[in-house]
Amino acid sequence: MEKAIMGITARYLLCEGVQVRSESFGLLFYHYAGPKIYFVRSNDLVDESFFSGKQTLSDLIDALRQTRGWSEKLAKRQLSTLMRLLKSRGLVYEQPVC
Amino acid sequence: MNNRCVEEGLSAPVNVTWEMTYACNLSCIHCLSDSGLKKPGELTTDQCLRVIDEMARNKVFQFNIGGGEPFMRPDFLDLMDHAHEKGMVTCISTNGTLIDDDVARRLNHPLVYIQVSLDGATDRSNDAIRGKGSFRKVINALECLKQENIEVSINTVLTRRSISELDKLADLAASFGAKLRVSRFRPSGRGKKSWSELNVSHEQMLDFSHWLGEHLKVSTGDSFFSVSTEERRSLGLNMCGACKLTCCLSPQGDVYPCAFLQEKEFYAGKLPQESFADIWRNASVFHSFRELEIKSCESCHRFDLCHGGCPAIAYHTQRKLGVADPECLENCVRVKMSAAVNA
Repeated sequence: MEKAIMGITARYLLCEGVQVRSESFGLLFYHYAGPKIYFVRSNDLVDESFFSGKQTLSDLIDALRQTRGWSEKLAKRQLSTLMRLLKSRGLVYEQPVC
Repeated sequence: MNNRCVEEGLSAPVNVTWEMTYACNLSCIHCLSDSGLKKPGELTTDQCLRVIDEMARNKVFQFNIGGGEPFMRPDFLDLMDHAHEKGMVTCISTNGTLIDDDVARRLNHPLVYIQVSLDGATDRSNDAIRGKGSFRKVINALECLKQENIEVSINTVLTRRSISELDKLADLAASFGAKLRVSRFRPSGRGKKSWSELNVSHEQMLDFSHWLGEHLKVSTGDSFFSVSTEERRSLGLNMCGACKLTCCLSPQGDVYPCAFLQEKEFYAGKLPQESFADIWRNASVFHSFRELEIKSCESCHRFDLCHGGCPAIAYHTQRKLGVADPECLENCVRVKMSAAVNA
């Protein structure tokens, strides 16, 4: 099960040339190669500041449990789906925390 | 492009077109901004730095720099350095005549894209539009930029003269490792005077649409979504981005919906005196643009591909907004068929 929910203790950082800002629909990513923009309808699940690397995914899961009363399973599922999408588009990468 | 996300409204533009000066050492007959001499009231270096800081604070990702000729500003490269320090991408449109080895070296930065203008594949055809000697200077600029491995596009305005040279221009671009980008001629600035002489016919526009569909590597800067074929559907915008994804800043700090609508009635505010965030969110002209509906196009089978086309062309040719772009693909087909029937 943990394998499916990748990188819980990891930080997620923006790939080189990628910028992000929060919008009403979620996140707007900009990649200077192209340049290209990506609209990610994540609503208010994650704020742009998460990608500065100060928090781990686990910190974010805890925050969602506390502020929204979500179960750990729900928070993990939502966030890992989002991170997988962002990784597959080459927008973020996972930095394990030792 | 996710239209629904765009329609919900962005907190700031993705990019801002910034015409940094009216000064230009060429006098191209189709110039969109009637450039030539520097005008009173152009932003000072300090004011430009404030503008860059404010755009960066608002998380604008990219400046599309134009003019006039931006390299005519003695502070230009310092201003670009400042934008890059803030993490902003600069896409610089230039006539190329002032780029030498030293300038190219200075432009070698991962956040820089360069577009050099050429309106013909030979001295003769290019210089007839852009001025004597300009072709050779651009070729020299392209060589300098190539030596620095800087990503370059050759930008060509589609006209009755350039349309027959597009293949040669694409080959010329490829010989420098550059891309060809074709932009749409619009009747603003000096383009108002040369419109009837240079603008392509409906039939030529149809030919061009077909050509674009076969040359997917040629970019259009989204100027031609109104004539885009299915093949290009995934390559860019399918609607006008003015006031939704982009806006324009004049050399004097005036904010407008786009570079082709720098008219008094579209004035939205002034930088750096006013807050850009406030202008973007609250300017009434920006609200009107976001709500603009081209009702007459809504039943068209191509509506999802162009949403009524370019409002600037509609405005300049019909003096009103909210009407169809007269050069949309559907209209070009209609005109061609009607001509065939009449013949």
